[in-house]
Amino acid sequence: MAHYIHDKDPKSEALIRALENIPRCPGTCFFMDINRSTDIKYMGGLTDWGRKLNNTFNNLLYANHFQHNIVKGIGDEMMLFIPDEELVNKPSNNNYFALLEDIYASIFLIRHHPDPDLFLNCKVAIHYCTEVYNITFFEGANDYYGSDIDLTARLMTKSVENRIVLSEKFYIKVKNDLVNLELESDTGCLQWVSARFIENFKGVPTSTEFRVLDVQ
Amino acid sequence: MELTEQKTPQCTIIGINGRLDTTNYSILEKKLMEMIDNQNDRILVECSQMDYVSSSGLRILLMALKKITISKGKFVLCGLQENIREIFEISGFTNIFEIYGTQEEALKVF
Repeated sequence: MAHYIHDKDPKSEALIRALENIPRCPGTCFFMDINRSTDIKYMGGLTDWGRKLNNTFNNLLYANHFQHNIVKGIGDEMMLFIPDEELVNKPSNNNYFALLEDIYASIFLIRHHPDPDLFLNCKVAIHYCTEVYNITFFEGANDYYGSDIDLTARLMTKSVENRIVLSEKFYIKVKNDLVNLELESDTGCLQWVSARFIENFKGVPTSTEFRVLDVQ
Repeated sequence: MELTEQKTPQCTIIGINGRLDTTNYSILEKKLMEMIDNQNDRILVECSQMDYVSSSGLRILLMALKKITISKGKFVLCGLQENIREIFEISGFTNIFEIYGTQEEALKVF
């Protein structure tokens, strides 16, 4: 559970001491955004867009057993975070490569489902976070803050429908898994990962390296 | 995960035993695609011993279904455990696959 940060004194020394002792919580952050849902809200009623949002969120979450990793949903976008200590303890799919493969497969399933009226296409951004803290400023809520969470949101600006944007930090984690699993470097969806891009995102002091993976 | 194969006069039965996930979906993919490429495209997938499936596993089943539809073969599933059936429902698979409760029922449709 998140550390609840709360002190009514704006000059509280106790708050500073408490913040100094909050440990980092490394893990994988990803944003998943449903495309065109705003359009269909103008074109159809709640029964149409509500149904498709329900179907798409369920498909993304339950088929991957991600339902316990939702940090928050904002409209048609979800933020998920899987701490490293949780990922390694999963009974299967307990590595970064598996995580990427399953996310790729989810987007693929939606894109290629024979009934185009059930789901909405999605876009995704994934980043491996080290500068992240499991804290909240709101009683009872769970949340994650840190510059790496902000960077994941920035990466989302580079994604489009049926695309996964992965930071170089996450990509390196995936590649390390392949070595550990003794798999070829272009195993599974990795064969479609792009070369490296470099971008200077607003508010981020250093350049960010990332790759894109367009779902085939 | 372990795959079993049994040939019958009507079809080939592929049994999936254990967890179908990212660590092993390529085994099923290779098996099914080879069968379809060799016109062995009347396939029953016995799922009663499959106790977990991830999106990666579902992707292979969808790819096989699409390929078999083009070749005008037949691709049927049977014996889904309750937790697997729920995943199939959420993924919209129960509307696009022919799914039967038991192998005996499924064999009748070939």
